[in-house]
Amino acid sequence: MNGNSQERAVIRSLPSGVPGLDTVLGGGLPEYSFNLIAGGPGSGKTTLAHQIMFANASVERPALYFTVLGEPTLKMLRYQRQFSYFNPELAGSAIQFINLSAEVMERDLGEVLQRIIGEIERAKPGIVVVDSFRTIAGQPRSSDKGSGFDLDQFVQRLALQLTTWEVTSFLLGEYAAEEQRSPVFTVADGILWLTQATDRNSVVRKLQVVKSRGRAPMPGLHTFRITDDGLQIFPRIPEQTRKRVLKKRERLSTGVRGMDEMIGGGVISGDAVMLTGPAGSGKSTVATQFMVAGLAKGETGVIAVFEEYPEEYLARANNRNPEVGEMINAGKLEVIYLRPLDLSVDEALFAILEAVERLGARRVVIDSLSGFEVALAPTFRADFRESLYRLVGTLTATGVTVFMTAEVSEAFSEARFTTEKVSFITDEIIVQRYVEMEGELRRVMAVIKMRGSDHTHQFRTYEVTSKGVVVGGPLTEYDGIITGVPKLRAKPAKAKRGK
Amino acid sequence: MSAASSVGDLMNTPDRGKNSLSRDQSAERQIARRLIEGHRSERAEGHTSARAAAAACDQLYRELSRWVGPDGCHALFTRALAQARTEYPALGQIQLRARSEPYIDGVAETIMAHGDPATAEGLEAMLVHLIELLGRLIGDDMAMKLIERSLAASDRGDPTSDRREEA
Repeated sequence: MNGNSQERAVIRSLPSGVPGLDTVLGGGLPEYSFNLIAGGPGSGKTTLAHQIMFANASVERPALYFTVLGEPTLKMLRYQRQFSYFNPELAGSAIQFINLSAEVMERDLGEVLQRIIGEIERAKPGIVVVDSFRTIAGQPRSSDKGSGFDLDQFVQRLALQLTTWEVTSFLLGEYAAEEQRSPVFTVADGILWLTQATDRNSVVRKLQVVKSRGRAPMPGLHTFRITDDGLQIFPRIPEQTRKRVLKKRERLSTGVRGMDEMIGGGVISGDAVMLTGPAGSGKSTVATQFMVAGLAKGETGVIAVFEEYPEEYLARANNRNPEVGEMINAGKLEVIYLRPLDLSVDEALFAILEAVERLGARRVVIDSLSGFEVALAPTFRADFRESLYRLVGTLTATGVTVFMTAEVSEAFSEARFTTEKVSFITDEIIVQRYVEMEGELRRVMAVIKMRGSDHTHQFRTYEVTSKGVVVGGPLTEYDGIITGVPKLRAKPAKAKRGK
Repeated sequence: MSAASSVGDLMNTPDRGKNSLSRDQSAERQIARRLIEGHRSERAEGHTSARAAAAACDQLYRELSRWVGPDGCHALFTRALAQARTEYPALGQIQLRARSEPYIDGVAETIMAHGDPATAEGLEAMLVHLIELLGRLIGDDMAMKLIERSLAASDRGDPTSDRREEA
C-alpha cells in the first residue's frame, strides 16, 4: 500500500430499482452503506425497502428482511405482493423474511443483535432491512442494563457488523423531523426522509436525501407517487443542470394559413411560444395545426393535454386532421394526458421529457397552461411561475420547440394580452380576442412579442373553419380594435367641386 | 420429483383460486399429507399417525414462525384449529402452546379418548385449513414457499422434529 490514489477503495453504486431515485442519489446506493429510511406512517418506507431489495437480491447474495413489531408480516406480505416488483420466485431463496418479535419483546438488545448477526452469518446477504427499527429502539427492556448495551451502543455495533459483513443495510423507522438527534442519525451513512402532506383535498408525497456520505445527491424535496409498480420519484431537476442544445433558429411553419407571415416566416425552432385567448377562440385548433405541420415534415411530437380527456381531444383533432390518429399509431406523435389534480410540475416535466426522448420529438404542445395550473396540487400552485420557468427552460434546453396555449378571461371592452403570471417565460406571444364588428362577433389575432425577429403589428381577422384556423387580412379601415368595439374610420370628405 | 416441485405443481393447478371458500381442498390435503409423511417414515417403532401429524404441525409452526413471527403463526393455527374442530370434535382436547415445544399439546389424551385414526384425521384437517388460509392471505405461491421450507426441513431430518417423541 503506498497511498496511491489508484488503490483507493472503490465505492460501487447499487441500483435502487426505484425510477428516478438513482438520479436523486447521485448515481445509486453506495454499496455497504448503512442507511435510514425515515418517515411517518404510510409514507412508503416499507414499499421503498422492498423495491430496493427485489432489485438487488440474488440467491448468491440474498436479502434478509427482519420484521420486528408493527405491521404483521402476514399483512405486509399480503399487501406488498400486490406490487409488480414483488417476485414470489425470489421469496424464500433470494429474499428471506425473518421475524424478530420474540427477541425484541422478551430479550435484551444484545440478544437482538446476536440474532441479527447469526442470521447474517448463515445467509451471507448483500442487503439487510430491519423494519421497523424504531420498535427495537422504543421497546422498553428492563434487562438491557444486564447486557451492558444501550441503544447508542446497539446502533454502533449493528452498523459495524453490517459493514464488516459487506452488507448494504436499511433501517426503517417512524421519525419526526425534531427527532434527528437520535444516535442512528449520526451513525447512518445515508438518510432518506419520506413525507406526505395533505393540502385541501390533495396529498403530495416527497422524498429528501438528508444525508449521503460519499455522494452528491440532488438537494431539495422530490415528489413521488406510489403506483402498482411501487414508488416513482420525480427528481426536481434544476433547469441549468441540463446541457442546452444550441438553437438552430430555423423557421417552423405553424400550419396556419396567414399566420407564418405574421410572425416573420414561422416560429423560431427551440423557442417557447404562447398563444393566449378567451374560451372558444381556437387556441387548441392552432396548437394542433402547429403539431400537424411538423408531422407533415416528418418530425415527431408530443402533446400534453390538461383540459380534456385524450379521447375527446383526439376525436376533435381527428375531425380536422385525420393524420393525427395515423401518426399516433405510427409512433410519431404521443398524446400525454395529465389531469390528476395532485400533479407536481416535476411529474409533468418527467412525463413530457420521457416522451420527447423516446420519440426524439422536435415539437411539444402544452394545451393548456390554465389546465396545467388547475391539475397541480394546491401546494404547487403558489410556485407556478417558478415551476413553469423551470419546465419551459428544461424543455427548450433539449432543443424542442414548445407551443403553449393559455386561456385569458376577457371583458369585451378590455384587452388582456397574456396571463401576466407566465408571459416572461416565452419567446413569442400571439394573442387572440373577440371584437364586435357590424353587429357580429369576430375573431382577431396579433403578435405582441417575437424575441429577436420582426413581426407584423397589425391585428388580423381569422376564422375557425372545418379545416382549421385561417387568417384573414388586416383591419386597416378600423380604429379602436383594442377596445373590442372597433369603429370604421371615417373616410376623409372629398373636396366639393367649384369651391 | 422433489418435495418442493411437487408442492408447486399441486398449488398451481389451473382451477385453484377461482373460489377460495368453496374450492375443493384436494391440493391442500395432498400437501398436508406430504408434511405428515415426512415425519411418519422416520419415526421409531410404535409411533402413531396422530403423533406424526402433530410433529408435522410442530415443525410447520417453527418454520412459519421464522417468517411471520410466533404470534402471527399462532393466530393462523388458532383459526385453523377452530375450523377443523367443527368437522372433528375429537380435536376438543388439542391445545396450542404458543412459543412452546411441542406446540401441539393434548395429543396423547386425544388418542386415548378417540383413537389414533380420528386424531390423525383431525390434525390433518387442521393442516389443510392452515394451508388454505395461508394461501388466501398471501397467495398460493407464497404459501407454497413457506411450506417448502418445512418440507425441506423434514426431508433433511431436522433434529428439532424429534422433540415430540421426547415430550
